[in-house]
Amino acid sequence: MTGKTIVITSGKGGVGKTTATANIGSALSMRGHKVVVIDADIGLRNLDVVMGLENRIVYDLVNVIEGDCKLHQAMIRDKHQNELYLIPAAQTRDKNAIDGDQLKELCGKLEQDFDYVLVDCPAGIEQGFKNAIGAAQEAIIVTTPEVSAIRDADRVIGLLEASDLQRPRLIINRINSDMVKRGDMMDQRDVVELLAVDILGLVPADDRTVTAANRGVPVVHDKKAPSGAAFLRIAARVDGDDVPLIDVGSKSGLMGRVKGLIGLNGSANSHA
Amino acid sequence: MLKTGVVQVSGRGSSVDFTIDDTEAFDLVVRGLREYLADKRGLWSNGAITVNVGRRMQSPSEVSQIKQVLQVECGLTVTRFWCSPEALEQGRAVKGHPATVDIPAIQPILTALPSRPVQIQAAIPDEIMSSGPDVADTQTKTSPRRGRQADALFIKTTCRSGESIRYSGDVVVLADVNPGAEIVADGDVVVFGRLRGVAHAGAGGDSKATIIARQLEAPRLQIGQYIGLPSKTDQRDISPESEAQIAYVRRRSIYVAPFAGRYARYGRGILYDG
Repeated sequence: MTGKTIVITSGKGGVGKTTATANIGSALSMRGHKVVVIDADIGLRNLDVVMGLENRIVYDLVNVIEGDCKLHQAMIRDKHQNELYLIPAAQTRDKNAIDGDQLKELCGKLEQDFDYVLVDCPAGIEQGFKNAIGAAQEAIIVTTPEVSAIRDADRVIGLLEASDLQRPRLIINRINSDMVKRGDMMDQRDVVELLAVDILGLVPADDRTVTAANRGVPVVHDKKAPSGAAFLRIAARVDGDDVPLIDVGSKSGLMGRVKGLIGLNGSANSHA
Repeated sequence: MLKTGVVQVSGRGSSVDFTIDDTEAFDLVVRGLREYLADKRGLWSNGAITVNVGRRMQSPSEVSQIKQVLQVECGLTVTRFWCSPEALEQGRAVKGHPATVDIPAIQPILTALPSRPVQIQAAIPDEIMSSGPDVADTQTKTSPRRGRQADALFIKTTCRSGESIRYSGDVVVLADVNPGAEIVADGDVVVFGRLRGVAHAGAGGDSKATIIARQLEAPRLQIGQYIGLPSKTDQRDISPESEAQIAYVRRRSIYVAPFAGRYARYGRGILYDG
């Protein structure tokens, strides 16, 4: 089996990289794939908390790379999915504890046994970021519809394009449809126009995402959550399915969608 | 143009281009270059030298060897190195091989960007530019753009935040220039998309240079030494900016007007002074 390594990155912190990693990882394993998620945010570990696995950590990524333990000893099986594993970050070390080649070698090893290796990239564009992108064959950029997050995403896309990671795909997280309708928030068209990259998915702002993260259960397990549904669609697209993009920013309901399809949507006109 | 096997030399304006054969073995190239310069010593003594290495993948040691031959042995000043984008791609594919050719004392100005030519340039002092070599002198007098490279750098991809593009001629961007990006050209800056980054035309001091953009939304413009800022009332709400705009210097200030041609006379325009 040869899987692929996908890095999830953003530049700016707090836009939902870790949430996206946990949810896409869970959703891909719900689709029947073998998935491992790696927390590359050494020193600021939190993917384990979002997945509810913090109590099971014995060994971490740095232990594996330094040879203190075997690879399988650091891999924590998910509570909900049998074929989903987490390699947690070390909390007592920093980004310089590993280098890009070591992480790349580790991911290469994991690709032989797993369909997807997801790397949760630390914020910033320093060593930790370089390590994480060096290991991956594909990249997913997470941003929110805020100018600061978009500016950082733009910078990161430029850095990815200058490295070997061509054609990164974009997730716009926390779209507040009410604010978009009022014109108080950039809508997805503005973001895509500025960043000029392919869009992978739109995730609506959803309180259930926060609740789910606090409980340590990724929101894709919550059948009622719109953000969970959005992540399931994103995972399907990562998996190669052709799932149409649902415009979460515009009017919901049948009429809104029909109008959106034929281009009569209010937000479409305001940005024509 | 003078052809001597591995090295082709052409004079343009006050600058001299050395185009080095990119298929020949490297030691042969160095020998050819040395022989050629021994023959023509003194001819190019003051020119701004551009070395074009074509598709040849240059390692830093090869670059410094070429530089050694030109500068130390023959007393010439190399101002730029060029290589083709393919060579850049190859350079990146080879592990541990730097994509940009890094030479001390020459300042690398364009960092590793895909599908763009790599250029390394040292500041060209004005006196070198104006006191060109014998060959180029007559051309300089008739040239409408005295002392400026006539060629343009075409950029086909979006210029993103953090990217800085510096070029000694005109820069043409066939995409957007995003906030946080920076374009610095000795000639004109032309943007076919939205200009939302910083643009500096006439960076060598030419205040006749212009900045042209399909949508001009730059937070700061600079032409020569003059700096322009968009007015505090948001222009974007007033005009839909459906037409291209040109920024130019008039009476020591930057004005912006609807574009009507590069050499059109612009009488009216909006003063760009914040």
